[in-house]
Amino acid sequence: MDRGGIDHAGVGRAWIDGRPATLDAAAAEAGRLLADSRLPVIAGLGTDVAGARAAIALAERLGGAVDHMHAGQLLRDLDIVREARVMLTTPNEARVRADTVLLVGPDLSVAWPDLAPRLLDAPMGHEVVDGARHVFALCPGRSPVKRARETIEAIGRNAGELPDVLAALRARLAGRPVGKLSVSAKRLDALATALQAARFGVVVWSSASLDALSIEMLCGLVADLNARTRFSGLPLAPADNAAGVLQVCGWMTGFPMRTGFGRGSSEHDPWRFDAVRMVESGEADCALWISAYRSAPPPWTRKLPTIVLGAVDVDASNASHVHIAVGRPSIDHDAVEYLAATGTLAAIVASKKNDSLSVADAIGRIAAHLRPDDRPC
Amino acid sequence: MLTCIQSGRVIDPANRRDEVGDVWMHDGRIVDAPQGAKADQTFDATGKIVMAGAIDIHSHIAGANENMGRLMRPEMHHPGHEAAPVPFPFSDAVSSTFATGCRYAEMGFTFVVEPAVAPRQALQAHLELADIPIIDKATLAVLGNDDFLLDLMRKRESPDAVRNYVAWTLATSRSLGIKVVNPGGAAAFKANARAFGLDDIVPFYGVSSRAIVKALQRAVHELGVPHPLHVHCNNLGLAGNVDTALATIAAAEGLPLHLAHLQFYGYGREGECGFSSAGARLAEAVNGAKSVTVDVGQVMFGDTVTISSDVLRQFNARQQARPRKWAIIEGDGNGGGIVPYRYRADDFYNAVQWAVGLELFLLIDDPWRVFFTTDHPNGAPFTAYPDIFALLMSHELRAQWISSLPAAAMEVTTLASIRREYTFNEIATMTRAAPAKLFGLSDRGHLGAGAVADIAVYENDNDRAKMFRSAALVFKGGDLVVRDGNITQYRFGRALTVRPGQDRAIERRLADYYDARYGLRHDFMKVPDNALGRPDPFELVPCAD
Repeated sequence: MDRGGIDHAGVGRAWIDGRPATLDAAAAEAGRLLADSRLPVIAGLGTDVAGARAAIALAERLGGAVDHMHAGQLLRDLDIVREARVMLTTPNEARVRADTVLLVGPDLSVAWPDLAPRLLDAPMGHEVVDGARHVFALCPGRSPVKRARETIEAIGRNAGELPDVLAALRARLAGRPVGKLSVSAKRLDALATALQAARFGVVVWSSASLDALSIEMLCGLVADLNARTRFSGLPLAPADNAAGVLQVCGWMTGFPMRTGFGRGSSEHDPWRFDAVRMVESGEADCALWISAYRSAPPPWTRKLPTIVLGAVDVDASNASHVHIAVGRPSIDHDAVEYLAATGTLAAIVASKKNDSLSVADAIGRIAAHLRPDDRPC
Repeated sequence: MLTCIQSGRVIDPANRRDEVGDVWMHDGRIVDAPQGAKADQTFDATGKIVMAGAIDIHSHIAGANENMGRLMRPEMHHPGHEAAPVPFPFSDAVSSTFATGCRYAEMGFTFVVEPAVAPRQALQAHLELADIPIIDKATLAVLGNDDFLLDLMRKRESPDAVRNYVAWTLATSRSLGIKVVNPGGAAAFKANARAFGLDDIVPFYGVSSRAIVKALQRAVHELGVPHPLHVHCNNLGLAGNVDTALATIAAAEGLPLHLAHLQFYGYGREGECGFSSAGARLAEAVNGAKSVTVDVGQVMFGDTVTISSDVLRQFNARQQARPRKWAIIEGDGNGGGIVPYRYRADDFYNAVQWAVGLELFLLIDDPWRVFFTTDHPNGAPFTAYPDIFALLMSHELRAQWISSLPAAAMEVTTLASIRREYTFNEIATMTRAAPAKLFGLSDRGHLGAGAVADIAVYENDNDRAKMFRSAALVFKGGDLVVRDGNITQYRFGRALTVRPGQDRAIERRLADYYDARYGLRHDFMKVPDNALGRPDPFELVPCAD
């Protein structure tokens, strides 16, 4: 991903109401907007771990709320953890051990472009007796994942059928009869038999394209399979370091994103602290929008005082009152972020290191302009 | 600045001191009483108890598994009072890193060890520790179910190779020691084993759990790492598992070995339910095995979340989840399981567990070798510590509790017959002097000149739980951080680490291994200082030559 002609000398520049400004003036104006706000929301949160720590600390100090642009998607996976049961594995363990992989739903190679090379086509570990890997795709839609050499057997086509097919598959695994479906009973039973024959199976899905009940059904199916054999789940993480920010929010506040601090201590409510709802309803009267990985615009339509910390400094004249251009984590500056290949937080050395501002730096400059407050931030 | 804590009862077992007197500090360190000098600041401790800051050697406070536990249970996070502004950021966010530091400091704890960090998750664990205010902290790195080690053993490679790998792991994960959790059990579970004992063989690798323990024990010892291998034995929580614990104690063979949360292995098969306390037998074995140290893992009644790298045990415990939700994570080495649980005072099994823990505390006669833990949060949250101190210090209080618990459960333990009461000196030994020795820390856990000025001052209240719940004064590195049980300032401590020497060849070998097996650079798990966002985040503890 290149910056599309934006030269690095531009990084670190800032604008107020569309006019170029010094960084100090922009930070001061941002500080004034936030300090004057009754209920600010810090949203987007497309940033590295340091940026997330700074943003969440700022929200706490201001009595505001935090949300992430992919929180809705993240919470669909997390809701299963909070309300049911999950068996999960890491990308590494899936790579070396999975003799059977069930890809569920469409667009998985969009969610993880390296899915085929890192997992499906990768060599298995020496501890795996039979090195053959069987891959099935459930309702893959029109752009299915492809393997380099072998084919992937597709069962069901449209994503719309997925809830029914999943329920039928789980029923067949439990030995129960199912009604008529677009997928034949014979194919369904053959898949059930293949899953039961796995030594270490892995189910891969992306909550971008699955509803919460389908994910719960899938996790139930994995739990059922473990009565006899070993099976585990590998949910693919959303972009913009959503999984990394989730970890930070978890340890700092005890909660995922969509958490507010207006009443003193942390409160989590996926509806109340949905940034779009807060803005559109008029509850939030100031927004700090962070998108350091790419220039995603805020997803709301109502106008309100807005500060943008954005990866690319175009469109600075539009919606935002203050715009500060920041570097891209792990490209323009060193960063800790969630790594899809390992499923862990990792410290990444910048690939094109320059002197661009990080989100944490920018928030530090803004916070310096807040009213005196003896709390450490 | 010269500061004096005046006229308290100073209890400092490491220096054999128990007397009314003063404690002086200067620039963050304890100093001898200076001749003729006048203190810049004095604190009157008349009638109060003065001890070094307490040390918790085994408490799950950071890392990916712990964070999953937080995220799994939003219903537990209500602070228990009406929302109101808090004096310090996130200090009331129940289970958050910030609240963790505050609650520990309020009780007079100044150093806590997170005992189960998968090396590949070390960066996250250290980031979380960096957001725990006030106290110092450290991690133990978990090995023993990882393919690299098991493969070294499968190929019968020399102890040198194991030793170099252990040294590299300690350095890379910035840890203070090595832990092994159900050695081989997680690897066997991946191959669909559902039970795993000390002499069971890990499929494919052909090594026994015992052999893994012995190889790691030897490596840690030969590297001169102060903390002995920290062992979470096989068969945790099962009736009759005292045999596993006894066999593991015997396997120490005179070399240092630490057995974690021994309470969870103190179960026999006597009585109508086939479940009984074997606490007395286990304590006797510990008393006889002088190279062995243990911590208790006391159970207290209430809601908690069990969080363990023993993925096999957690999988087998999933049906006991209360509320009924759980997560099992198949990790690269151990992985983990998060299973909410409710210990009930009217439950026969839970009451036996409670009694076993206290039997171990009271029947192990050497407070230098038995350590105070609840295996937080597995036996109870660490905030239950003050109630446990009270139970240890009062036979009468124990008798009250016993009278309210199921009689059938009390019949299969010896607890009611034990009259021992811990003294302040023994409490200070168990929670200060001994833990510092266990980790090779010469400047912590005591109040002698040169020690870090980590000091807790308590009211000498007959209600011991009240006394230990909120310290009158706590100093961390000479800074006053708690007054009358309330936090007075945030400051950030450091993570203590060891870095024994290693042969550089292991680096090359690991690079090849990670490339071939995972298609990754082997340094993806590194923990650079500048990633943690705090100045000077680490402190190095020397290894023996």
